[in-house]
Amino acid sequence: MGNIRGMLFATCLALGLPALAWGAATPGSPAPDFTLAARDGGKVSLAELKGQVVMINFWATWCGPCRQEMPLFAQLQSKYEPLGFTLLAVNVEPDSAAAVTWLKGMPITFPILFDTDSAVAGRFGVEGMPSTVFVDRNGQVRYVHRGYKPGDEGKYADMIRSLVKE
Amino acid sequence: MRLPCRLALLLVLAAASSGCSSVEPWVKPYERQYFADIVMSGERDPVAAAYLNHVFEAREGARGATGSHGGGCGCN
Repeated sequence: MGNIRGMLFATCLALGLPALAWGAATPGSPAPDFTLAARDGGKVSLAELKGQVVMINFWATWCGPCRQEMPLFAQLQSKYEPLGFTLLAVNVEPDSAAAVTWLKGMPITFPILFDTDSAVAGRFGVEGMPSTVFVDRNGQVRYVHRGYKPGDEGKYADMIRSLVKE
Repeated sequence: MRLPCRLALLLVLAAASSGCSSVEPWVKPYERQYFADIVMSGERDPVAAAYLNHVFEAREGARGATGSHGGGCGCN
């Protein structure tokens, strides 16, 4: 009886340990801090933005849905910025030239960050492209949204509203 | 005798079940651009490859299943 229990325990451990290493930014856990170079030449770190609701979007130019949602982010930023909200669009490409070219002429007011070695994407455990992480005023991850299909911007707005109210 | 046996089974089970979940190296979702790298392409030179495919098809007298259309005459 004891051996069966031991075996069960070992199996759970074997299955569970890799899972622990996998999901880095899960809702309820503190968001991993990072400092990344921004498009405007400066640096942006998540710790500096404590007290604000932060929406972190991992994107790339080769990702169709990412390109689709990018123009919609401008509206979210302008609408919720006065309430203590900021959006960070983290580009995960090793060469950010494509992103810079693509963004030229787009009315984007939020910081575009370059994660050229994918270290931040790795720390957040990005499981799909695009991935959007919502961080509350205390620096806790509250929601993780994977992918984008038309209409998801409504969900984003709902999540932002619920976090801004706190 | 039975205890080491069970222990061994336990170890194998533990190793085997953890093997399913993490395979390295693994292309992460944010690294998919590497699939589009020229190194990942089966044909280095698309123009030369298209020509060679055409020659083979004409010589074989058989076409199709390679993405091209035609009747096997080698004339298109």
